[in-house]
Amino acid sequence: MRADAVRGHLDGLLLAVLEPGPLHGYAIIAAVQRRSEGVLELRTGTIYPALNRLERLGLLRSSWQSVGERRRRCYELTDAGRRGLAAERTAWREFTTAIGSVLDPAPAPRPAT
Amino acid sequence: MSTLDHRADAIDDYVASLAAALHGPARAKARLIEEMRDGLVDTVAAHTREGMSHQGAVREAVREFGSPDELAPSCQRELTIAQTRHTARALVLTAPFLIACWYLIWTADHGQGRWPADAAQLVAVHLAGVAAVAALFATVALAATGTLARRLRTPHRLPLVVAWTGTAASVAIVITTLALAATSPLATSWPLVTLAGALTVGSHAVVAASARACRRCARLPIGTPSSPGHPVDAS
Repeated sequence: MRADAVRGHLDGLLLAVLEPGPLHGYAIIAAVQRRSEGVLELRTGTIYPALNRLERLGLLRSSWQSVGERRRRCYELTDAGRRGLAAERTAWREFTTAIGSVLDPAPAPRPAT
Repeated sequence: MSTLDHRADAIDDYVASLAAALHGPARAKARLIEEMRDGLVDTVAAHTREGMSHQGAVREAVREFGSPDELAPSCQRELTIAQTRHTARALVLTAPFLIACWYLIWTADHGQGRWPADAAQLVAVHLAGVAAVAALFATVALAATGTLARRLRTPHRLPLVVAWTGTAASVAIVITTLALAATSPLATSWPLVTLAGALTVGSHAVVAASARACRRCARLPIGTPSSPGHPVDAS
């Protein structure tokens, strides 16, 4: 999937991979690539300003934590972030249902003879 | 030079190039750059574990990450908003103290707090009004770039407007204090005038420097947010 198409859904992707628990930047990148099986084309550096933005909006919170031998900034969902993720999922399902019904319409019932 | 040094140099060059392109509050910029450097080092390490040479791993990591030129606009967008919030916060924190201090000087001069009559004090009143309006606008700007931004698109020109509001307020702060000090009997209220002078110098330095940095950030190209037109509804 092209990078510009992915960018419009980056917020939802980041919120989704953080749902199970806190992760640092590279772990978030790895989780997105693992879940998408490498199909999504994403300039991975763009996730860092996106994480900053989601934190500013109150959807994430972050703190420095020791991961292995290094100190990393780890992000986790806030309550508002969980509600935001639920809204993103609902919007995505409605979108794919609507587009799917246009692209792949159900066969029209045969007229009775 | 060892292979490890080559890798470190390539990452350092990348980070230095990105850092040179970005402007914003020092702490926010340092945090963003440090996180991105960590991410790049982790990506290189992952590719090295997969069997790539160090040079190959760095090249691949930079390709996946995006070049500094590609990433600078989206990073600058966040730093410009961080600088806008910094300037707005400086105004919100300093203006009320100064206005309270000016009010104390007026009441000290006029006994019962009568409305100032002469021209200098009339100018001071108007400029104090400018500072008050600037502080109110800064409060709105802080809200608009915080949690309210989930629902409302941040106006494109907000950083520039906050920058010039801060500049105007920093000038108003100085002139108001000078006007009041010139018309105030120093012998009777010198502690207040000294306090107002100290607050004015400090406030002017903080607000003017932050507004200047905000004007600079506002002139730089910025990227679009990651989910344009789809603010996350988290009510």
